[in-house]
This record gives sequence, C-alpha cells and structure tokens, in this order.
Amino acid sequence: MSSEEKFVFESMQDCESIRAFLEALTEGVGSKHLVLSSGGERIELFPQGLLQVEVKARRKGGSSKVSLKLEWKDAPRVETTDRTLSVSTN
Amino acid sequence: MITFEGLSENFRFLVLEVSGQLRATHEFMRAPTRELFDRITGRDDYIDNLKTIIENKCFSRIHTDNSLDRREIHRIRAIHTIAVNLERIADFCVNILGQMAHLSDPNRLRSDEYDPIFAEIEASLNRIIPALEKEDLPAALAICRSEYELDKLYEAVFHRTLAEMSDGRSVHDRITTIFIFRYLERIGDSLLNVGEALIFSVLGEKIKIKQFEALQKTLSTSGFGDSLSDIDFRSIWGTRSGCRIGRVERVRGARNSTGDAEGGGGPACDTGGNGNPAQTGPDGQPRPAPGGLGSIYKQGNKKKIIKERDNIARWSTLFPNLVPEIFGYHEDDDSAALLVEFLQGCTLDEIVLTGDGEILQNAMFVLLQTLHEIWEKTAAPGPVPTDYMRQMRSRMEAVLQVHPGLRRDGVDLCGAGALSTEQLMDRCEAIEKTLPAPFTVFIHGDFNVNNLVYDHTRQAVRFIDLYRSRDCDNVQDISVFLVSNYRLPVFEPALRQRIRWVMREFLLFARGVAAARGDATFEARLALALARSLYTSTRFELNHHFAKDMYLRSHYLMERMVAHEGPWETFRLPAEVLDCGCNAIIREETPCALAS
Repeated sequence: MSSEEKFVFESMQDCESIRAFLEALTEGVGSKHLVLSSGGERIELFPQGLLQVEVKARRKGGSSKVSLKLEWKDAPRVETTDRTLSVSTN
Repeated sequence: MITFEGLSENFRFLVLEVSGQLRATHEFMRAPTRELFDRITGRDDYIDNLKTIIENKCFSRIHTDNSLDRREIHRIRAIHTIAVNLERIADFCVNILGQMAHLSDPNRLRSDEYDPIFAEIEASLNRIIPALEKEDLPAALAICRSEYELDKLYEAVFHRTLAEMSDGRSVHDRITTIFIFRYLERIGDSLLNVGEALIFSVLGEKIKIKQFEALQKTLSTSGFGDSLSDIDFRSIWGTRSGCRIGRVERVRGARNSTGDAEGGGGPACDTGGNGNPAQTGPDGQPRPAPGGLGSIYKQGNKKKIIKERDNIARWSTLFPNLVPEIFGYHEDDDSAALLVEFLQGCTLDEIVLTGDGEILQNAMFVLLQTLHEIWEKTAAPGPVPTDYMRQMRSRMEAVLQVHPGLRRDGVDLCGAGALSTEQLMDRCEAIEKTLPAPFTVFIHGDFNVNNLVYDHTRQAVRFIDLYRSRDCDNVQDISVFLVSNYRLPVFEPALRQRIRWVMREFLLFARGVAAARGDATFEARLALALARSLYTSTRFELNHHFAKDMYLRSHYLMERMVAHEGPWETFRLPAEVLDCGCNAIIREETPCALAS
C-alpha cells in the first residue's frame, strides 16, 4: 500500500497576482505533468485519461468562494524488479 | 471571621497543630527522646489529613457556592495557600528530626543559635489567625519580613559552621548541622508565602512583598499619607509589557466612584462627563493624587519604568495635557515603580466598539487634530533608517511559539514560485535600507488603539503607556494604530464597518500628511510597517483563523513589495489589505454610516 503524498499551499493574492499561479497550473495540466514543491516536500502528478472536474461556487454572508477540483485515477503502476529469472540448459 | 462549615475551625486547628509541632521540634533539639520523636512523627499524619480536609473544603466551597463575593473567595484562596504552607512547615519539622539522627552529639547544635530562630517562627505563626480575622496588613507584612530575619540567622550559622569545618574535624556533624538549620530557613520561605497569602486576602491582589514595599514607598513619595489599609489597590490589566499595573485609590469617598470598571475591565468609560477635578499643580511638582479618581500604579522592569518616566516628562514639556501626570516614583536595585494620574474617559477601542456614532466621530476628529499638532511641532528632518523588518524578525520566535504554522517554506507551483517567510523578510529588509524616512516626529511608540484615552467632556485625546516613545518615522505609529484596529476581535458586520471607517479616516489623514510633506516613499514604508504589525500581532491572537488571516496579509504585502518594479514613489499600498472582506477603505469616499 502506498503512503499518502500531500501538498498544501495557502496564500493571499489579488486578482492580478493569482493569475501567475493559475496559468502555471493550467500549463501543467496541458502538459500532463504537475510538479508542486515546498521546502523538502515534492509531489509530482500526471493527469491522464478522463478527469473528473468539479466547480463549486458559493456566496454567503458577505464572503464568496469558488473551488475547482480535478480528480483522476492514476494509471496502474507496473511493478518492475531487478531480479530476473533465467533458465538454462546444460 | 467568615465561617465556612467548619473550615475556620479546621484552619485554627491546623495553625495550632503546626505551632505544637514547632515547639516539640524545638524541645527535641534541646533534648531528643524516642517518645518525643514518635509523638512528632505521629502528629504529622494528622496535619496532612487536616490540610487535605481544608483543601477539599476550599475547593468545594468555591466550586459550589455561587453566592460567594470576591472578598470571600479571596479569603478562601488565602486559607488554602496558608494551609499548604503550614503543612510544609510541619514536614520540615519532621525532616529536622530525621537529620538529628545523623548527629553523633546533639549538643553540637547551639541553643543560642536556634532559640531565636524558633522564637521568630513561633511569633509569625501566632500572627496568622489575628491577621486573617482582622485583615491586619501590618501583621501580614511582619510575617513576610520574618523570612528576612530567618535568612540572616541562618546565614550566620552557615558561615560559622563553614569556617569551623576548615579544621577538618567533625565534618559529618557540621554538615548535618547546616542541613538542620537549612530546614529552619526553609520554614521562613513558607512563612513568606503565608504572609503574601494574607496580603492577598486583604487586598484581593497577588502581590509580592517586594512589589508591596515598592508600592508603599511610591505612595508615600506621592503624598498618600493614609495608612495602607485605606488604599484600595487592584489590578486593572494584570501584567502588561512586563510591568505590573494596578489602580490605586483611597477607599473612603472614592471606592464607588468608578462603578463596574473596578471589576477589572479598564478605566471607567465616562463619556457622559463628570468633570475631572482640577489637577494641575502650579509648580509642576508631584503632589497628592486626587482622591476621586485615584492613580495608576505601574511596577516592573527598571529600564522600562525609567524610560516611561522620562518620556512622560518630555511629552509634558511639549504638550502639557497630553499625557498623565506623574505623582510618584520609586526605584530599588532591579525594579522601579511609577504612580501616575488615572485619566478620565474611555480608551479609544471602547469608543470604537461601544460608543455612540457621534462620539466616535468626535473622538477621531480630536485624535487626528492632536496628531497633526504633534507631528507639526516635533517634525525633524531626516533621512533616518527604519527597522520594520528587524522588528518583525525579532518577534518571529514569539509568533511561532503561539502559532507554529505561521511561517512558510519557499514554494514552486508548476514553475510559479512563492518565496519563504525568511526570503521575503531578507528581500524586504534590503528594500527597506533604500527607503529611509525623510523626517521624524516624536512618536508614541506603541500607538495601539487601547493606549489612547478619549475624554468626551474635555474633547481631548490623551496618551498612555509611553515607554517606547522616541523620535522616529511616523509610519511606525500609523501602522500600529491601523493594525490595532484591524485586529480587534469582533466580526459582527456593523462593528467591522465602524472599524473600517476608523482605519479609512486615519489612512486618509496619514496620506494627506505624507503628501503635504512630500513624503514620496510613505506608501512603501507603510507596506513594510504593516507587514510587520500584522505578523507580530498574531502572537496576541489565539483565534487561529484570524491569526492566519493576518499572517497571510503580512506575506501578501511583502510579496507586493518584492514584486514592485519602478521607483518607490510609484508604489501604492494595496489598502484592501486592512479590509475585512471588502474593499471599502479606499473606494468609499463618503463616510460610511456609523451604527450607534
């Protein structure tokens, strides 16, 4: 069983400065390769196949929120091994 | 004496039992016998139980009886503390017995040395009940002072024994002698706790004997001639800036003049206006505080108190009615105490949050006029360097102690980067070096909204808590004032609107002054100073969500500074950083409605 990898980044931005982050993410999705790192932590994601997209928006009590969620199943990993089976005949 | 279902009786018995143990121990030192040994150790269990009974009664009484008033609660707490210390004294007696067994010759202990010690302890024990019953402050102080006496007596024995040890003989017995007298000296420490508990019972204040003596001396230098029992001393803010602050007033005639504020909230908010009695001394000399309003007593770090005293003096010279008058000052080796005028009115945060809308508008008008006058009169040409990033860095550890998560590492988000907290501070510090303030003014130094007192009757704003006043960039005060408003922990929309209005008015005023003085880098310096104030304020905010909000805003400001291109004269503070969810501060050009 693989361990969970997580990346969280919170910051405050204005509409102009947030564009740089959104554009970088858009490019990452386009190239099917997202690399997110902070401190010593690094997570690489490979969006592929069909992606589930969820867009949520809410406005309540003077505060608004929009969230975009992309979710997909990673391709099954092919387990490789260095050990080889060799059969020989004398 | 208040009776608490036998508590008083139990307490009396405890005092009597411990006095008995002490006498028996004294007797044992003179002539140790097995019988006496068994009697003393046997009574020790009884004393332990008695202490536990008292402890249980004290806690259950405080916990279950809602009708107890403050005085009764203080009394019960004092009884509990005294009981714990009496039981400890009894334990020391048993410890002395244990040490006696190690002496090869009990006559080695000199009665001329231990007799006065026992006499001192016994006299103190005899004072406990009357001091508690009669709320007798001098008796409580006498008990405290017995610790000094016992220390002195112990020291003499210690040095004598140590000197004798140099002959190399009977070292074992002499070390044991020191141990025995050391236990007697520790009884003195417990008596000090007993005395301080008795002072607490009378004054309702946890006050150390040293603090009490400082208060006493400060009061006497300031003309309070009354006996101390006529002085009502109570803490208002507990400790602040490392100082202990309390309000002092005469009990007679003044006790009820402050209404609910006595309960520990702060200065009486009397915007309705009883006139302040005439308080100006014609010669400017310290003089007795007016009985009606009392004074503020501040005791703590000597450097800070001296700084505050000197700053008040300087402010008084420049603006005679702006700061409280000093009534008394006292210092000893490592601390100092100041008795200053208790100002009539409300702190500005009280006005912001609870005052009538018109009063708030008046208060702001008076505040801005006052500031304008101060800045005009004290302005001196620069340039002078500022140190906002240094201030931020120096408080970072304190912030992380409260909120360990309020720093970040550098981030790479698919090629878009964000600098770490430290990198941002480094970059901003480098920028700050290029942005000296073009002029200085005499600043308050801790221009927090609760360090301003507004007297509506006199239409005056006055400053308190002045130990950080100095000649400095006015942006320091501006940012502290703005953030002290921003971080008021109220989130109700109508109140937030009032806070926004205050910040907006203040910012418009500050921008106006900067423009008039040709202060071209004002906006950039303010961004740095706000980043500092927002971040460092998180250490006082336990609401993590709110603290995180301020931390994020602080980082946003630093990022804007780092990202700025072009001359600093073109930098514009993103003022929405002080808004709470809307951009009203800058966009609203008309004053918003002030809810009353």
